[in-house]
Amino acid sequence: MIEVESLSRSFGSRKALDAISFQVPSGSVTGFLGPNGAGKTTTLRVLTSWLLPDPGTTGISVAGVDLLRDPRAAARKVGSLLEQLPLPSELRVGEFLTARARLKGIAAQRIASEVERVLTEVDAADSARRGLGTLSQGYRQRIGLADALLGDPPVLLLDEPTRGLDPRQVTLFRELIDRLRGQHTIILSSHVLGEVEQICDRVCVIADGKIRLDEDRNAWTKRLESAGSIRIEVNSTGPEVAAQLASVEGVTEVAIDGDGWLIRGDRDVRHALGELALQQRWIIHDLHGIPATLESLFLQLTRAEDQ
Amino acid sequence: MSSFSAVVRRELLSLFVSPVAWTIVFVFVLVMGVSFHLALISVDGDLRQLVAAVYGGLVSWFMLLLLPPLLSMRTVAEERRSGALELLLTTGISDTVVISGKWFSTWIFFLFLWSCLLPLWGLLSTVGEVDVGVLLSAHAGVALIGAGFCSAGVLASTLTSHPIAAAGLAIAINLVLFMVHFLRFLFQPGDLELRWIDHFSAVHHLSDEMSRGIVDLRIPIWWGSFTILMLFLSIKVLERRRW
Repeated sequence: MIEVESLSRSFGSRKALDAISFQVPSGSVTGFLGPNGAGKTTTLRVLTSWLLPDPGTTGISVAGVDLLRDPRAAARKVGSLLEQLPLPSELRVGEFLTARARLKGIAAQRIASEVERVLTEVDAADSARRGLGTLSQGYRQRIGLADALLGDPPVLLLDEPTRGLDPRQVTLFRELIDRLRGQHTIILSSHVLGEVEQICDRVCVIADGKIRLDEDRNAWTKRLESAGSIRIEVNSTGPEVAAQLASVEGVTEVAIDGDGWLIRGDRDVRHALGELALQQRWIIHDLHGIPATLESLFLQLTRAEDQ
Repeated sequence: MSSFSAVVRRELLSLFVSPVAWTIVFVFVLVMGVSFHLALISVDGDLRQLVAAVYGGLVSWFMLLLLPPLLSMRTVAEERRSGALELLLTTGISDTVVISGKWFSTWIFFLFLWSCLLPLWGLLSTVGEVDVGVLLSAHAGVALIGAGFCSAGVLASTLTSHPIAAAGLAIAINLVLFMVHFLRFLFQPGDLELRWIDHFSAVHHLSDEMSRGIVDLRIPIWWGSFTILMLFLSIKVLERRRW
């Protein structure tokens, strides 16, 4: 479990994180979304103990370890996959992971089996003797993840893990995260909204150094449904239909959508639309709700920053 | 201790698989081999004088001034630029262990280079009498000055993310310690200042004393202190990144 309370971090006079608080439950996969420069990577860097938080930060707990009191012990609870993966091209995969296992304090007699385990976990067991300089981007990401998994840390921080991967590799990566779900508490920072929507149990939208949204899947699905629109198609067309639809209480916007109409409201207006159709003796060809996408929600939440 | 040895092994692994390192070994052995041969001619085969001629000579100083900066320039600068430093320092290892491990591995490689000369002495000992004590004293002098120069190289490497700039800065620090000797020419024999210059002069320590078998306890104390100071400053510079 990760608990962050009132975390601030400044670079000179610029406040990159402004007293953010959030919790990541054990075993869950949380998506960290935000535009460039929003503070995602800074948050992850504080959680890996690479950066110190500003004085005034109330508390950061990583897998039960107080990061403010013992940052090195907290760092040992975390496996991280950096956005820029700096793998030394002069080494082989096995040599690199063995050296990393030593650095992470894994007992000498366990290192060989641990390297084999993590390589198997990321489907790269055949690559131990390959040079790091010869690997494709997909393989490099897998080796980076294998490194993060060394020592079986309870927390995994993945910064843009699918960046530069082709669609097939992205699918394989998602399957991999699915396998790790439940065993590790994972924060996945990403620009790819669809990816977060598919993989994550929670979503945390950060913009301008502030948390704009921190919800689990159920809550954000409901929010998307209520923020969505309704498509209606009846046997009558023309501007008078649009005017009548717009007159329904709760309807805020009516737009043409092919042979039908796209309606937005500040509440669920499907029942009222049905009654209107009955009054007007319209035959309803289509009436269904279209939930908002995470993309539209993201844009809405981060628009304030752009403005 | 285990994390220190892990850092040292990791650094040595990278050094020993690097073609640049083996190029340095090749050039060092070639240049020092030629220097050895010329020194042997200049001392007319007198093996007692040969140690001072080889280790206190200009070619040796050229190697001493140049090699540590070349070996240490990438230790932090390159890793900072590539992001590997973040990967290393987020494993829960302290900055002190990282800096001391990087310095130690650079120093070990530096000592390995100079140990490549030992077979030549072994060969000479079959045809003449090599004074092992003087030879050990000269190697100890090289090791002490090398420790200091390597630590200056690590400090320079923490100050910039450009290895070449780090090497330039380290060479400048080394040159100051080298050139201090030439302040002697500003004073008369017997002046107190000369004693102070001798305390700090790398040239005096190696060329005048240790390569001639003169071992003075003040020399290891001075170079040990200088090394610790450089490493302490390197750790402080590295810690600054967190802020």
